[in-house]
Amino acid sequence: MNTTTSADIRHTEGQRPAWSVKIVLALLVVLGGTGCGATPPAWFRLNMVEATKQKLTSDQERQVATLLAAMFGTPDDPVALPETGLDEAKLRLAAGPVRSDIVGRKNGLYREHCAHCHGVTGDALGPTAAFLNPYPRDYRPGIYKFKSTERADKPTHADMTRILKNGIPGTSMPSFALLSETQIDALVEYVKYLSIRGETELGLIRAYFELDDDAEGKLPETREFLVGEVLEPVAEKWKTAADALIPVPEMPADIDMVASIAKGRELFYGDKANCVKCHGPTAMGDGQANDYDDWNKTIVEWTKEVVGTDDKQWASRAHRVLDGDSLEPRTIPPRNLRRGIYRGGRRPLDLYYRIHAGINGAPMPAAKGTVPPEDIWHIVNYVQSLPYELDGELGADRPMVARDRF
Amino acid sequence: MLVATTALLLSFGALVTTYDAAMAVPDWPGTFGHNMFLYPLVEWFWGPWDLFLEHGHRLLGATAGMLSLLLAAVTFRKGASPAVRWLVVAAVVLVVVQGALGGLRVILDDKTVAKVHACTGPLFFAVATAIAVLSGRRGRGDLSAPATEQRSNAVGQEALVAVGPVHLPLPSWALGASLPTALAVAAYLQLVAGAQLRHADATLAPSTFRWMVAIHLAGAAAVTVLSALTVIAWQPHESRVARRWSLAIMAMVMGQLLLGGGAWLFTWGIPSWLQDAWAPAEAVLARSPRGAAVITGHVILGMMILGAAVVLALEWGGADRLERIARFGRQGLRRPDGTEARLLPATAAVQPRSERGAR
Repeated sequence: MNTTTSADIRHTEGQRPAWSVKIVLALLVVLGGTGCGATPPAWFRLNMVEATKQKLTSDQERQVATLLAAMFGTPDDPVALPETGLDEAKLRLAAGPVRSDIVGRKNGLYREHCAHCHGVTGDALGPTAAFLNPYPRDYRPGIYKFKSTERADKPTHADMTRILKNGIPGTSMPSFALLSETQIDALVEYVKYLSIRGETELGLIRAYFELDDDAEGKLPETREFLVGEVLEPVAEKWKTAADALIPVPEMPADIDMVASIAKGRELFYGDKANCVKCHGPTAMGDGQANDYDDWNKTIVEWTKEVVGTDDKQWASRAHRVLDGDSLEPRTIPPRNLRRGIYRGGRRPLDLYYRIHAGINGAPMPAAKGTVPPEDIWHIVNYVQSLPYELDGELGADRPMVARDRF
Repeated sequence: MLVATTALLLSFGALVTTYDAAMAVPDWPGTFGHNMFLYPLVEWFWGPWDLFLEHGHRLLGATAGMLSLLLAAVTFRKGASPAVRWLVVAAVVLVVVQGALGGLRVILDDKTVAKVHACTGPLFFAVATAIAVLSGRRGRGDLSAPATEQRSNAVGQEALVAVGPVHLPLPSWALGASLPTALAVAAYLQLVAGAQLRHADATLAPSTFRWMVAIHLAGAAAVTVLSALTVIAWQPHESRVARRWSLAIMAMVMGQLLLGGGAWLFTWGIPSWLQDAWAPAEAVLARSPRGAAVITGHVILGMMILGAAVVLALEWGGADRLERIARFGRQGLRRPDGTEARLLPATAAVQPRSERGAR
């Protein structure tokens, strides 16, 4: 599109009229004088909740920040060590401030589309985070809910791409279907980068716990330790995610749907699947509803620890961290299955994954091991029928969509 | 023409922010090494959408700047009232500063400058609107009375009698004349608060952002109350156009509240307290034309409310006050006998002076 080179631009800038420079300088003086400083460069926030929890000293906090900067770079200048398996070119497209390059290609995609909720660090502490319910995902623990892999495994690249394209209905996560494949690909890569960085940070913070006395409270700064012992185990899980795909048996093409739904209903209310415990007798999420997801549970449990401690100095520091680096914990209500809103995707396959592996990070348990794979399809069929279920016990005497009924 | 160009300029500016296109052209004052005015039209029209917005915004800005300079030349050559002269000077200063801020935002790639740039834009629009209103009054040869209608009710006539043949009329709706001024100020402050939200840096703490949203919502309440009070205060006004103008502002404010709600939905989805009642089965589509229209429309309508409030404040009451300020009180407030005229409260103006003296 453009034949202009960056050298041309530099040449033009060199010829900029003097008046514009003078005005610019004058404005700088005025802005500086009125206290309006320039926006500081973006920076990665340290995981203060974990650092304070592990009672790290300020020197140790500084060491963690320095090591992370050496291993992962900065938000404007990311680094991908070969061991991470990440593509640095993709990271550079997503990182940094929003701007177009010389060929008009948009850079800084993460800050344009994601950072206002998920935060520059991926710590779910972006400016708008407090307004969202559920809160945005904190990438740092490396836990993801909606995926095609087993519960404890990482999502595949395709899983994350699907979430970006479809969004998460019933939450503030929008669909980015209007972005190009390249842009979505770059964003997925950057989210993985933030996750690997966050998990490495957790690994470093927790490593202080296992230090020998002669280490004098400092982590070894060797490649063997940092990459071999801390980074590689984290990165390996991401690299092998595609090997942990959930095996899904084919649903028989000639399945008797009425019988399957009846069987699914039996399982839903039965002891084996026991869906009724949380989703409730009406399947409207009216069962046990006082639980937290893993991200909120961390804060709830740590708050209890802080309140119960005798170390007043540490408690005071911890309270400051809780105020500034976490949001008010919220319980996670079980889904109302009659509304026809499926956060992890509405395909039968998506529901199969959810029931088989449960939802990582949430109280939803895995049916794997207790319910045979073919029976999971019956539960899927029953769950899909719930928004349209004819149920006299619920006061409805004619079929209609759930949103009208409930 | 300046007002129309500025309105289009601000609309482009709002779209630039909505689509985060401020850095679509990395150099300034040139465009990809070209002179801004010589950048190929084909590349502008058929290039990326971001580039279309940013380069279009720059061209419109340059047009507004040149129109301002032209206006200044005409104003000082042909002669104009002091208020118009001062406003034209302000417009020229603002447009130059605004252009430099735009350049600075690109050169430094700085959000703080972007925020200031977003605050100066509506200010320039308000000044341009004020110039248009005052020039229009002068063009109609009507410097001292409401422009569109003769006073016909008893209160208005008595008020004129009360102050004698001075340059300023005594508005019998004194409170009503102040309200649109307050409304214009509030509408401008709302645009400033909104600009802080739209240009919020991603490193901002959630607690700070929450306060900023609270201030914007409080500002929305203030603008709504002020527009409602304006409608109430201006209903006894003898001018049908003035009455309808105040109602139009109220309607725009109502529309603005709806657009604000829409902007919330497109940005953050259904609020949690509404989710039990209704939630869509599909996720919101990010960067959809519909969402961009609602969010950008919220900014544009805010600007229109500001412009309409400026018109109401000046056309029916405030223009003479502004002229007095522009003359530093040296002219226009003297009666033929040399005594100082001043605006009297509306209640005092109802009674002719002779009757008051007889008591």
